[in-house]
Amino acid sequence: MTNLQVATLTKKITYPNKGPRWAEITTITNETSDISTYWLKFANPAMQASYRFQPGQFNMVYLPGIGEAAISISSDAADHTSIGHTIRFVGNVTRAVSRLKVGDVVGLRGPFGTNWPVKELEGKDVFIACGGVGLPPLRPVIYHIIHNREKYGKVTLLYGARTANELMYTAEHEAWCKAQIDVELTVDRGDSNWTGRVGVVPMWFYQFRIDSHKTAVLTCGPEIMIRFVIYEALARRIPPENIFVSLERNMKCGQGSCGHCQLGPYFVCKDGPVFRFDALQPFFNVEEF
Amino acid sequence: MPNDRRPEIGGTISIQKQAFDIILSRLREAGYQTIGPHIKNDTLVYEPIESLNDLPQGYVTEQEAGRFRLIHNGHHRYFDLIPGSQSWKQYLFPPRLDLLTLQKNGKNWELITPTQDIPSYAFIGVRACEMAAIQIQDKAFLREDFNDPVYHARRVKVFILAVNCLHPAGTCFCASMETGPRVKDGFDLCMTELDEVFLLTIGSELARNLLTGVPFELSSAFVLNNAERGLENAAQQMGRTLVISDLPDMILNNLDNPYWQEIAKRCLSCTNCTQVCPTCFCWDAIDQMNLSGTETRRERVWDSCFNPGYSYVVGGNTRPTISSRYRQWLSHKLGTWKQQYGTFGCVGCGRCITWCPAEIDITREVSMLRKEAQQ
Amino acid sequence: MDNVDQISKELKKIPWFRELSKEHVQKIAEISNLRLVKAGEVLFREGDKEECVYIVIDGRVGLDMFVPHRGKVRFYTAEPWEVFGWSSVTPNIRQRTAGATAVVDGLIVCINAEKLRQACDEDHDLGYLVMRRLANVVAGRLLVTRLQLLDMFANPETKNA
Repeated sequence: MTNLQVATLTKKITYPNKGPRWAEITTITNETSDISTYWLKFANPAMQASYRFQPGQFNMVYLPGIGEAAISISSDAADHTSIGHTIRFVGNVTRAVSRLKVGDVVGLRGPFGTNWPVKELEGKDVFIACGGVGLPPLRPVIYHIIHNREKYGKVTLLYGARTANELMYTAEHEAWCKAQIDVELTVDRGDSNWTGRVGVVPMWFYQFRIDSHKTAVLTCGPEIMIRFVIYEALARRIPPENIFVSLERNMKCGQGSCGHCQLGPYFVCKDGPVFRFDALQPFFNVEEF
Repeated sequence: MPNDRRPEIGGTISIQKQAFDIILSRLREAGYQTIGPHIKNDTLVYEPIESLNDLPQGYVTEQEAGRFRLIHNGHHRYFDLIPGSQSWKQYLFPPRLDLLTLQKNGKNWELITPTQDIPSYAFIGVRACEMAAIQIQDKAFLREDFNDPVYHARRVKVFILAVNCLHPAGTCFCASMETGPRVKDGFDLCMTELDEVFLLTIGSELARNLLTGVPFELSSAFVLNNAERGLENAAQQMGRTLVISDLPDMILNNLDNPYWQEIAKRCLSCTNCTQVCPTCFCWDAIDQMNLSGTETRRERVWDSCFNPGYSYVVGGNTRPTISSRYRQWLSHKLGTWKQQYGTFGCVGCGRCITWCPAEIDITREVSMLRKEAQQ
Repeated sequence: MDNVDQISKELKKIPWFRELSKEHVQKIAEISNLRLVKAGEVLFREGDKEECVYIVIDGRVGLDMFVPHRGKVRFYTAEPWEVFGWSSVTPNIRQRTAGATAVVDGLIVCINAEKLRQACDEDHDLGYLVMRRLANVVAGRLLVTRLQLLDMFANPETKNA
């Protein structure tokens, strides 16, 4: 007769194996009226102790019955006790998150994606230009720089928000200044109490002395802001290889499999979200691409 | 005395057509579900078959943009027709699949995913374009950094009996895409149907074992020549052609060309093309919770870049228009796919042409775009 | 109160003025004066007659509009080297459409608008350079205003509501 291996053909398999990794909400920090930071800790202490991420990466947060959302990690990569996710309540999943309380449990997958190139930036000046919810994915970079301050040159944070009370992490700004990070703020519209800049993030580039040979620009925020920041950076002769951008697209799997997050040849979840701008140049300005 | 003579791997033998049923029953005995072309509801589907009787004998297909007809012309062959809307993708990458089931227990959710049998499929009648499509999906689902466990579990068990096409249809262009009509590799058995016999090329040890005791003859040079000439003719009889020498660049350099708006006037964004395409792999994961909120099932379903919600981001949609979505599909299939996976995403099967209700023809659109680009 | 040389010196710190000839700088300095301002000092109000065009040397000047039920909305801050009150140099004379308040202590140059218009009429070379510069200022301001208009940091859900 034949000598086919029958046994292997009908092997019973359970998939996808162990199911979601559960994490508990340990703290909720209200940042603004519609943005909060959720501090998550894996239910399994060994998992929490061994979890590592790089600045710029994201996790997929799962609310059973509702779905998953890709959330940038906004906490210090050197802090292994819990993982901070700054979330703005805008969609089904995030709005459901807004109803959660300390002690509630969510599923957590990650970390995914590419990271801000903190190693390659050593020795350079770092110019961070961001606005709105573009600051959370960059906050881990700020922490990394603070922990390794002597490895970096001049560091500037140019950060904008809609109004003064929508500026985030304001309680930390002083500590950042003390760590020799030049914190420069701007708002889209001010009131008589605001004595800072009023205007949009890209317009303030002219105020800074930027050495185009050794400055890297990191930017994140609404894509239109990113576009104009890049115009300014290029106008200051910063080469596209020294401009880094974090993009956002519809992410479902986080692993470059489901196809949703594609931008041209790139899967934003796997080849991004942090991109070097020269890689994006052919596709970035194509409308609706 | 049992005939233990076995053909060599790489060799081609010929068997009488009735002996084919022995192969099918051997496969079933070994636990395979033999899936093959079958006529149901006046159309061609891939479903379990048991013998040659279940195969569509004496049929050809007439395929044009937006048109598919099964024509019975009374000849005796089984594999002259060209596949219909279904492809093998639905077996390796099921349209609907439960990823996990969770049950609420107080504050926590407990995993209750039942064990699942991974089916063992034997695909009977895999065309060259379909074989290429499976190999393309392999690249998408089986990666070093991410290996889809569902696809993997099914794929390693699959037995492939491929078929060389001798009678391409009106929308076929596998020759242009260099994927056919000859099946290159990846098969356990590769068959060419002649009038009196089936020629079988052995592709694996598994196939060798399968054929133990099946009466066969070593093919004569005359017979092999016949098959060769049939294949050469088939390559010349393709219903469509698509020039790929300037791709992917021609498409990627013309993303702003107004011609995309012209296509958008006709395209309904109905997602037919992505469903019938044997390489499209996009999927979505949806939570289906019961009304009382005590149990939820996470389901994986096929998705399509033509779906409006596909490119939804917070505050809007990155591809709100049909022109942007059609452009995404075409510039991915014949463009960026190359950078992602090393090959084109299109195998020239023509399904998207046949099954488009608006009669949009990918080969025509590419050549029109090329013409517009040159102006 | 300030002599022309002092004003010329301050003006020449501003990059655009280095494009002008010595005579042109002198001409503008002759029709300007320097002004120290204190935080909170109002330079002009909505509805005022437009008398000067200003350039910030040091400090920050906020431009506000009063919106009924909302109060004073600050929609722009002029930083060092920036021009504000530029509409006074354009041919149609109107009233101020916004108010200007010094946000912090600072130093500004006030150029008499009518005399500047006259100087531009008499010397077309100077006129061309001034208008060219103003065109740049206005273009930049327009872009910023458009970006502000897009309200890009707003929560998209509430924005569309």
